[in-house]
Amino acid sequence: MKSISRILMVITILLSSINNFAQIKNLKTETVKIYGNCGMCKTTIEKAGNVKNVATVEWNKDTKMATLSYDDKKTTPNEILKRIALSGYDSDKFLAPNDTYAKLPECCQYNRDLKPIAKSNTTSMDMKNEHVNHNHHEMSKTNTSKDQNVTPLKAVLESYFAVKDALVKTDAATASIKATELEKAIKAVEMTKLSTEEHNVWMKIMKNLTANTEKIAVFKDVAKQRETFALLSKDMYELAKVSKQETPVYYQHCPMYNGKGANWLSKEAAVKNPYYGSQMLTCGSVQETIK
Amino acid sequence: MDIKNISQKILLSIVLLLLVTAQLFAQKVVRYDLYVKDTLVNYAGKEKRAIAVNGQIPMPTLTFTEGDTAEIVVHNQLKESTSLHWHGVFLPNKEDGVPFLTQMPIKPGTTYTYRFPIIQNGTHWYHSHSGLQEQIGMYGNFVMKKRESDKTFRKGIDDLPTVPIILSEWTNLNPNNINRMLHNANDWAAIKKNATQSYAEAIRAGKFKTKLTNEWKRMLAMDVSDVYYDKILINGNNITDLHTVDGKKLKAGDKVRLRVSNGGASSYFWLRYAGGIITVVASDGNDVTPVEVDRLIIAVSETYDIVVTIPNEGVGYEFLATTEDRTQSASVFIGDGIKQLISPLPKLKYFEGMQMMNDMMKMNGDLDDMGMKMSLNQMDMNVVMYPEITGENRQNSNHSNHDIMKIEENSNKYNANALGDITTLNYTMLAAPQSTTLPKEAPVKEMKFTLTGNMNRYVWSMDNKILSEIDKIPVKKGEILRITIYNNSMMRHPMHLHGFDFRIINQHGEKSPLKNVMDIMPMETNTIEFLANEEGDWFFHCHILYHMMAGMNKVFAVDDYQNPYLPNKAKAYKMLQRESNMSHFMGQNDFSTNGNDGEAMLQNARWSLGTEWRLGYGSMHGYEVETHLGRYIGKMQWFMPFVGFDYRYRKMGMDEHEKNIFGQENKKDSRSAVSLGFMYTLPMLVNFQAEVYHDGIVRLSLMREDIPISKRLRAGFMANTDLEYMADLSYILNKNMAIRTHYDSDMGLGIGLRINY
Repeated sequence: MKSISRILMVITILLSSINNFAQIKNLKTETVKIYGNCGMCKTTIEKAGNVKNVATVEWNKDTKMATLSYDDKKTTPNEILKRIALSGYDSDKFLAPNDTYAKLPECCQYNRDLKPIAKSNTTSMDMKNEHVNHNHHEMSKTNTSKDQNVTPLKAVLESYFAVKDALVKTDAATASIKATELEKAIKAVEMTKLSTEEHNVWMKIMKNLTANTEKIAVFKDVAKQRETFALLSKDMYELAKVSKQETPVYYQHCPMYNGKGANWLSKEAAVKNPYYGSQMLTCGSVQETIK
Repeated sequence: MDIKNISQKILLSIVLLLLVTAQLFAQKVVRYDLYVKDTLVNYAGKEKRAIAVNGQIPMPTLTFTEGDTAEIVVHNQLKESTSLHWHGVFLPNKEDGVPFLTQMPIKPGTTYTYRFPIIQNGTHWYHSHSGLQEQIGMYGNFVMKKRESDKTFRKGIDDLPTVPIILSEWTNLNPNNINRMLHNANDWAAIKKNATQSYAEAIRAGKFKTKLTNEWKRMLAMDVSDVYYDKILINGNNITDLHTVDGKKLKAGDKVRLRVSNGGASSYFWLRYAGGIITVVASDGNDVTPVEVDRLIIAVSETYDIVVTIPNEGVGYEFLATTEDRTQSASVFIGDGIKQLISPLPKLKYFEGMQMMNDMMKMNGDLDDMGMKMSLNQMDMNVVMYPEITGENRQNSNHSNHDIMKIEENSNKYNANALGDITTLNYTMLAAPQSTTLPKEAPVKEMKFTLTGNMNRYVWSMDNKILSEIDKIPVKKGEILRITIYNNSMMRHPMHLHGFDFRIINQHGEKSPLKNVMDIMPMETNTIEFLANEEGDWFFHCHILYHMMAGMNKVFAVDDYQNPYLPNKAKAYKMLQRESNMSHFMGQNDFSTNGNDGEAMLQNARWSLGTEWRLGYGSMHGYEVETHLGRYIGKMQWFMPFVGFDYRYRKMGMDEHEKNIFGQENKKDSRSAVSLGFMYTLPMLVNFQAEVYHDGIVRLSLMREDIPISKRLRAGFMANTDLEYMADLSYILNKNMAIRTHYDSDMGLGIGLRINY
């Protein structure tokens, strides 16, 4: 027993001494710019970059310059900068993920000069909308004739979807804002560019459409917004049916709402119920796919 | 002479012309020569053996156009036999590439030619179907282009620039060793993944009760995958830059079609893109109505064609493939410039997963879906482990408990698309652009398969039968096979059918999508159907390599096909059965201060031959050897009757319990005895063993090994009616070594080094 404890002691001493004497071998240093604001940023950047015995990072919050010291055999500046970007900080090599940047404390929300999109605070949802519009723009190059018909109503539908998404999240404030945007989109429709079919429907529903949209914008209570949204969706459905869509629109039905059920339109086949939100998010079914 | 010469020339040119026109108007023969050779690679810090074809990993991308004839010449320069299977490709059965089922293995040093007409289009891949060669490099893209004149040609999709992508994993361990370790329930992979789920970790997470229930229900630590990989590869690299496609520089607004095949041996991958949404346009080589998603999971051996857009100039957007267990990933940066990263997937909440397993598992090992009719990947039980969907921690969401309650009532607890903002692809979202209905007049043969298996012994089967226990399933040519599959095992399985595409019946009715791989999660029930209009022996199996090798296979024999390459089909099938139930060896010995303690076992899916020994350093401590030959019974294999033989020699003295608790006496110092008995796994994974020896002596014992105390600390105990007992504690150093201390009633306290293989 005695010898065993002695052996153990020797092992412990050996292990601890390895720790004490170790340092970065094959040392190389490099200075690079890392975007950030404050002392808090400094802590995050350095913590993300450091790896014991492999890399150390020292960042200066005034010059935004960082000194990377690393073991040339074990890592590369790219690996260090990637880790730092994944903690939220841009460099000339890497852009941080949008959601990671968005989660940084307010004081750390530095200006993202390197990011090509001007709005640096875009959430992922906004990104998606932009993306869709972008696709749409691309398409318009190839299918010009069809596209001219689509564009004016497309904006209306897109704004409608934004209202719906807000209701899915039971977010009355956003729903109100998005309804205001929908109002604008409705006013912006140039009737001369509509096809005969579209024009007929448009004339029939425009009055109700505008009135209901205004109501949603004014209401502060999500329950009332939803009631109006049910009416709004009926008209939108008629509109969607006659207008040409590039991507399919799904006409969905919730059998429970107000005892008699209600419908809505969605760009996704997956059901996300705007009448109940998270209470019964996937209650409902696709009634019809409009193409 | 002159005239002759001229006429010769004319003749020659006519022949040439004919040849050329033949190429133009009839089928063009596209030939590839593949040289299969052993190589050494260094993907993860160590030089290891791999197999390269034409000097590369992955194997070269083979490209054809519908209407071509493929001629692929395999030159086997390995020291072992090989084969190549064309995954998802319609072809005569003899070209399908399954050794002992559609051909004989390609022997070392020989050349073999596959030749078949290309009668379809789409993204497919090819791989070795011999042993575990697929794990070490034998996978590659197989692309069949659609002709522009095809009436299904989709402008804006089928004319986009395309990039073939094959995903794979690399491990520094020999795959044979991985296979062995899986069967021996070695938890080294869990330690590497930080997924041991030990008692200490459970207590820290406030989940002690969950862990206790889990062991009560006889489950080992749960995970979404079983193998730890050192590196993930996309087209053979961990990180790739994609600046140009077909020589053209990528710019803002460009769309790129990625033809993604999962060539991994056992990993599912999450696919995500930093530049926005992903549009899925085809799966398993079959067009689907474009569907936009934020992410998708690609099952082992599936293929997806996806379209991504480059939003801005001067940025490379990360396309990230992450293993389902989220330990490893690989990326492609699409576009030239500063690299826009996507955030890595957060770690799995394993204890939430364990809780979920506890809820689903009945005491008898069956799964209970609690009335949720699960199908088509809509309900993913694993979402309880996904922080990005269900939040970082349950306790934090107390204020929204009300909502959660309501969701639970609505049984949407596991619907990822309902719970979060992130849209994840599932099979209900796939629809074929055209009708895929099968001929109405064809006779229908209905079948039901239940996927079965148990993690503890790593036995995977269908209807509790492995391939070596079943005959081929006879099918008449022209019949429709409609198969309902229920997954009653704890793991998901990518089920793959050779030679045909099947319809996965979903809510799109006549436009149900065509695929040749169907991922099926635990407790799901899905129905597939296909028209068996090509004769031959077609393999149907789980595409997780280690599940396939464990016997999770069936064969459909469509008519009585005469395969010219297989003169003796019956004998060949015996070989195939044998290969899918190979026995595996396990051994360990503790070199301790008070003696040697160890065991060795040779096992296959049903049988176990094991021997245990305790060897003291002197005759006073004694020598003891027990050997058992047993057969595991039942789906969960908790019960094993056996015959045994014991030998013991010791000089009485130190420990004189010669009477057992039944009052039976045994005074001999030297004893040889034959026994009959059984072993049964009790709740808490305690093994109960009862034995009767030929001299009437009865022995009952209780034992438990490998109680996970902390990440690397294991405990165990044994007690029997001979009043012998033992308790041990070991600390795992690496996959083959542990420091162990134990107290044994015969040999006293010891400390030593345990080596295991």
